[in-house]
Amino acid sequence: MTKKENNPGLLSSDEEYCGGRSSSSKRRYRKTKSQSPLPRKSTRQAKKARLLGSRSCLQKDSRNVDEFNSFCEDFDQVFSTFKVSAGSGSVCRNELWIDKYRPHSLEELAVQKKKVDEVKVWFEDRLRTPMDANGSNVILITGPAGVGKSATVHVIASHLGARLCEWDTPTPVIWREHLHNLTAGIQYTSKLDEFESFIGRMRKYGVIPSCFSIDSKQPVILLIDDLPLTNGKAALRRLQSCLHLYVQSTQVPTAIVITDCAKAETTDFTVQYLEEIQLCLENAGACKVAFNPITNNSIKKTISRICSCEQYDLAVEQIDAIAKSSGGDVRHAIMSLQLFCLKPSQICSSSSSAQESLKDEEMPHTLVDDRFSFQFGRDETLSLFHALGKFLHNKRHSVNELVLDSEFSVQESLLRRPLNMDPPEKVLCQAHGQARPIADFLHENVLDFMNEEAIDDAWVVASYLGDADTLLSSYDGMLARHNDAENILHLAAASVAVRGVLFGNSHPLSSRWHAIRRPKLWQIEGSSLSNKKMVKQRFVPYGGISLAHFSVVATEYVPALKWLGNSVSEDHEKLWALTEENTGFDMVISGDQESHTSEEEIEDW
Amino acid sequence: MLWVDKYRPKTLDQITVHQDVAQNLKKLVNEQDCPHLLFYGPSGSGKKTLVMALIRQMFGPSADKVKVENKTWKVDAGTRTIDIELTTLSSANHVELTPSDAGFQDRYIVQEIIKEMAKNRPIDSKGKRGHKVLVLNDVDKLSREAQHSLRRTMEKYSSYCRLILCCNSSSRVTEAIRSRCLNVRINGPTEEQIFKVLEYIGKKEGLQLPSGFASRIAEKSNRSLRRAILSFETCRVQQYPFVSNQAIPPMDWEEYITEIASEIMKEQSPKRLFQVRGKLYELLVNCIPPEIILKRLLYELLKKLDAELKHEVCHWAAYYEHRMRLGQKAIFHIEAFVAKFMSIYKTFLISTFG
Repeated sequence: MTKKENNPGLLSSDEEYCGGRSSSSKRRYRKTKSQSPLPRKSTRQAKKARLLGSRSCLQKDSRNVDEFNSFCEDFDQVFSTFKVSAGSGSVCRNELWIDKYRPHSLEELAVQKKKVDEVKVWFEDRLRTPMDANGSNVILITGPAGVGKSATVHVIASHLGARLCEWDTPTPVIWREHLHNLTAGIQYTSKLDEFESFIGRMRKYGVIPSCFSIDSKQPVILLIDDLPLTNGKAALRRLQSCLHLYVQSTQVPTAIVITDCAKAETTDFTVQYLEEIQLCLENAGACKVAFNPITNNSIKKTISRICSCEQYDLAVEQIDAIAKSSGGDVRHAIMSLQLFCLKPSQICSSSSSAQESLKDEEMPHTLVDDRFSFQFGRDETLSLFHALGKFLHNKRHSVNELVLDSEFSVQESLLRRPLNMDPPEKVLCQAHGQARPIADFLHENVLDFMNEEAIDDAWVVASYLGDADTLLSSYDGMLARHNDAENILHLAAASVAVRGVLFGNSHPLSSRWHAIRRPKLWQIEGSSLSNKKMVKQRFVPYGGISLAHFSVVATEYVPALKWLGNSVSEDHEKLWALTEENTGFDMVISGDQESHTSEEEIEDW
Repeated sequence: MLWVDKYRPKTLDQITVHQDVAQNLKKLVNEQDCPHLLFYGPSGSGKKTLVMALIRQMFGPSADKVKVENKTWKVDAGTRTIDIELTTLSSANHVELTPSDAGFQDRYIVQEIIKEMAKNRPIDSKGKRGHKVLVLNDVDKLSREAQHSLRRTMEKYSSYCRLILCCNSSSRVTEAIRSRCLNVRINGPTEEQIFKVLEYIGKKEGLQLPSGFASRIAEKSNRSLRRAILSFETCRVQQYPFVSNQAIPPMDWEEYITEIASEIMKEQSPKRLFQVRGKLYELLVNCIPPEIILKRLLYELLKKLDAELKHEVCHWAAYYEHRMRLGQKAIFHIEAFVAKFMSIYKTFLISTFG
């Protein structure tokens, strides 16, 4: 269920570690290694190989995965015995469960069956008729972290008996390493360059059968796991064009895996980059499959499977809690499970070696409390929509819980019942809400949650939102982006907007289903900007001798030309075309209203 | 070509509406060096026409040869360079631009362009170094900083170039700039003057004007000559020969705002507010400036309003207009005004009719 095949890296580091510790283990290890027919190379080696151009990429024999794993277990045994003899192994532990229990068959995958089938069918098609001209040979797999995107590709490859070649994002060169390399005479190449040359080679020559491949007739699947991170527009464009070319011309069935972050919550630039790249790939003809977060049930199933393998007995509610806290991330769920099982292992584990190693561990001692504690769950975050729902529904305690503060009396009309939620600022913080989008969302949706009669409330809310807007704009662009003052300003604005909505909406509607819309304002701003540009380009130099004020053009020339449109003189023709576009646009806007309402349904909490 | 442009006076002598101003300017240019000028007055009063004619008077017909450029200025602002894109219109002797289009970066524009102009001065026939004219539109929309830096550059480069500033209201131009310029107020033309211009155009176009028709257009034009000529031309397209009671087609956005106003009067509820918002969005999409929307909306609402509420409503309109300038997203503030109006009006209705 992991994203990458971590074993080689893990083992190689172990190897170094053991090598440093004891020669006996080294000997033993070497022995096992020599027995294994498995081609193993560390990513670093692979990178060098790529640079030299001798081999195309890291290769793994997927058919040998099982063998590999049995080897791993083998090795583990050897290793743990070594540890006992050494007596002080606190760092080296059993293998991580996420690696140990990586899925080996389609049945073991926790991913939605439908999605897996989709990917599988796609690969089957490509492998059957590799020279097919219809469609491209690239499949784009997206989804949040830890839902098994790469694992799916691995499993399918082994299921189809294909050889999987892999591009892993290279580790960045740190400055010291770079300095070291400089003295050693190794040239620095940017990761993007490396990727570009790799893609170029793959495009031209396909996968070069290397000495490791047992059967050159075996079909090959290329897995590009995470694209290099680009910084800046120019680099992004380079990456896009290189990918575009690749998608259109490659002969090798390729899976490109992109981890996506939640769109609404971050306005990070990298997210935009990833989106742009996805769009570019799709435009080039790549087939896209989006993976969803894994459902609680399948996570529970996976956890119970591992529990039974490890012979731990977990209560149903514990499994439940782990599954819930993982947020659809299987990898995370398994990791929490392993951590959680450390405590019970003290009691029920029978293996002496495990016990001994655990004695030195300090972790379990911190987990002494009997209560089922939850120190390991993913940070509890709220989705933006969840938070907005809280604010908009404006749930409050019933009247009898109201505690009147006698020394601080407020007018009757300004009195509100206490909120039935965390302080709004905390909720905002959990939702990673940024002031501007929060204000826009609230503005778009708040009217739906108001009582039919309560126009006064509507005014109060609108006024507070206006205040928030004023706060947000007061230093816009004047201060640097990460300035503290601006941060505080943003926090204050978000707080004003949220509290304004909570306070102002004093007669909220009784709770029922509501749709939360995306702010139409964003769309409006976009189109008004583009309209403005268009009008400017065509009108402002109009008349030839003088620049017209823009407002004049918009309010007087455009409407007049709309009327004049019937008598099109050649000079007006282009202007008329513009006004026509404008009126057409009006209709588009009003037509869009319905389609947008059903975009995001939220439940009443 | 639209009539507005076709019948725009090209020289100071042709100008009819502000004849006295034109003659004074002519004397000024002919007799001595021209100072910096600041033209202010309502829209459609003929500021631009005067400026263009003045430039022609200074440089002769060569001033008519203009080219439009969409230029990107690279400005070195301390630690980083900023790219600012701006449309300029220039001839050999003058440059015209609207610096406020650059938003909060307007101050760089002003400095940068003036510096550049100072670098390449034209040489006139006598081998004397002449000066260029820089026409800046919408000076009242410039930020404080920009106006301040404009003041400095005006002093520093006054031997290289002359500035002609245009704006609607001089009250938003700092004292410092105003005192460095010769202020010229351009009034809106009277209805009488508009009437004369319309008649002149009618004669030139060979149209039969029924009595009272031109004066009705003049009346409806709100003392904006441009507006009057535009609607005159529209009427010509709509129906000719003219009938004396012919309807003068209103601007579509104005009609739209009238519609919004009547909707606001009919029902006051969050739901209606939401519908109004949708309509306001459509106006904004069509690039109607929010200040004008608010102003017009107030105007329409006042028409139907009871006298005792007018004062309060005006107060709130002014309040939200101010907030709108401070803020960023105009819709928030226009909507707040509409909500406030609804709230006031509803209370009023309940108290009067129970």
